[in-house]
Amino acid sequence: MPTIRLDSLVKRYGDVEVLHGIDLEMADNEFTVLVGPSGCGKSTTLRMIAGLEDVSDGEIFVNDNPVSHLEPKERDLAMVFQDYALYPHMNVAQNISFALRLARRPKAEIDAKVKEVADMVGLTEFLARKPGALSGGQRQRVAMARALAKDSGIFLFDEPLSNLDAKLRGQMRAELAMMSQRVEKNMIYVTHDQIEAMTLADRIVVMHGGYIQQQGTPEELFKRPVNKFVAGFMGMPPMNFLDGEFVERDGEIFVSGQGFDVRLEGEVARKASSHGNKAVTLGVRPSDLSFDGAAEPARSLTLDVLVSEYVGAQSVLLCKCGAAQVMVEINSETPVALGQTLIFAVNSGGIHLFDRASEVAL
Amino acid sequence: MAAPTAKQNSAFFAVIAVLVFMSVGPVLLMFVNSFKLDVDIISGSTGLIFLPTIQNYETALCDVLWYEPEHLDFCALKFGGAFINSLIIALISTVLTLIIGCMAAYALVRFRFMGRDTVSLSTLMVRMVPPAVLLVPVFGLWNNEFCLDRDGLVGGAIREAFGGRGDVCLAGTHSGIILIYVAMNLPFVIWILQSFIVQVPRSLEEAARVDGAGPFQVFFKVVLPLIKPGLAAAAIFTFRIAWNEYLLASALSDRDTKTVPILIVNNMSEFNVEWGVIMATGMLLAIPPIIFTLLASRQIITGMTAGAVKG
Repeated sequence: MPTIRLDSLVKRYGDVEVLHGIDLEMADNEFTVLVGPSGCGKSTTLRMIAGLEDVSDGEIFVNDNPVSHLEPKERDLAMVFQDYALYPHMNVAQNISFALRLARRPKAEIDAKVKEVADMVGLTEFLARKPGALSGGQRQRVAMARALAKDSGIFLFDEPLSNLDAKLRGQMRAELAMMSQRVEKNMIYVTHDQIEAMTLADRIVVMHGGYIQQQGTPEELFKRPVNKFVAGFMGMPPMNFLDGEFVERDGEIFVSGQGFDVRLEGEVARKASSHGNKAVTLGVRPSDLSFDGAAEPARSLTLDVLVSEYVGAQSVLLCKCGAAQVMVEINSETPVALGQTLIFAVNSGGIHLFDRASEVAL
Repeated sequence: MAAPTAKQNSAFFAVIAVLVFMSVGPVLLMFVNSFKLDVDIISGSTGLIFLPTIQNYETALCDVLWYEPEHLDFCALKFGGAFINSLIIALISTVLTLIIGCMAAYALVRFRFMGRDTVSLSTLMVRMVPPAVLLVPVFGLWNNEFCLDRDGLVGGAIREAFGGRGDVCLAGTHSGIILIYVAMNLPFVIWILQSFIVQVPRSLEEAARVDGAGPFQVFFKVVLPLIKPGLAAAAIFTFRIAWNEYLLASALSDRDTKTVPILIVNNMSEFNVEWGVIMATGMLLAIPPIIFTLLASRQIITGMTAGAVKG
């Protein structure tokens, strides 16, 4: 399967530059997810790889051959669109075989291929139907089957699940994950949903404002975000941020701010002491806080519980710490009453520090 | 909503009845009169009691009938020829208008080029000019300017093949009339089709491009089937306008290329109006557009039931 390399890819619309030099390499047979908020340039990047948008500057290499001057059909790729883009005047079989028919493959081969991919996505009974007579999930499958039938090495997904309802989305996500293991292709998947990114990706590329913020495995991004944006974007509920300052007391370093005073230990303390700037942001994930009345004050946060959101086994508490709001994820069995002031221990390794001015992780 | 009362219903039906009478009445009158002799029509003893005769139809169709009608000693009316002229002109101009129109509309909607908005607007401007204003310059151009020299290569060949005298000009030919009809209908067709093409989602075209379609394949295999209802609607309009058009055809046609509307009017003279024959030719004239509209409107309906563009 081909490798893809983006070399300082730039996209301009008139005078407005929306992508500022994207460098990215996608290894063989890898599931790469581009994730980011709306307008971060992830879809534009994908469409440039597909050849649907012109490249303003930089180059796209597939197997080390520059392709940015090629038409989409010359690039050996298949794409699944957000709105499925099924041809309404063709039935399912015709939709799936469209690319093969354009390529003038022999009829027997086309029929065999249609049957094969229809089996794979479970559409065999619906081959004679028009897309208009299918449900959202089935249309999604047709779109997938159409891309699979093409047998190309690169598979592009442009927010394929965002038009489905929550339950179906979860189901299709799982099917997609299974498919990606079965099919040996280089897949690039664009989404704004970080859960999709975390569950599907071999590698996540977080984009924001036309720049790549960080790339790595889901675990790397979750545990070691390089800046405040990535830290806040990955993970649900999002990471809590508390503005504070480094204070040195009795040879130990504390992060101190409105309503909290947390002692730093080990690696984090070493990084903090070597950091010049005192103004920092403390980041703690809701799941790294645990209810513990007997916790040591220097390793805990004292929070006023405002709201409790019951979501099943887990509850999310919305609390106040000074002027800032802090979310805590706890077991629903924990007895918590609204209006209480409680102590939550910070798990070791749960402390993230960011420079307040540059927002870069220490 | 509350169920409509009986009173509302009867008022409603009264309105409908009036509308139906207004639209069907004239056609019915024409139909009935086409089977009457002129004496019966003029006598004014209206009513439905008369001896029906197909004499009027025989007179109208005398040049295509396989037998010679008894009441005629000379076939003056060349309805068959005019009918074929009308068919040729209306069909060819419709087909040409649609082909050029859909491509122009697609380009205007999808491509960005200099002067696009101006072109889009000016297509409508042409439509704002009444045909009568066009007539004078077109008549002059067709007769005097757009001519091939009879001694020239092409002009000579045409004169050789078809006979005739003088230079080969557009006036009096099918092509001359077709050309002006295409020019006249094109703006409207472009305008109608633009609104249909805008509704075709761009992602469909992009999907087709990724699937390996070139620009023409995208247009013919994806866009065109989806705007079929629009094409059908445009075809109905252009065909009917071309079929019914009188003013330009009367000036630009000659004895051999005149269309049915011209022929009908020629039946009226200062001394004698042959009402029966006019009614009969009127009935015959109405048939092709009805058939055409029925065929074309079926396309509109299948287009709608196919769920149209929304996938």
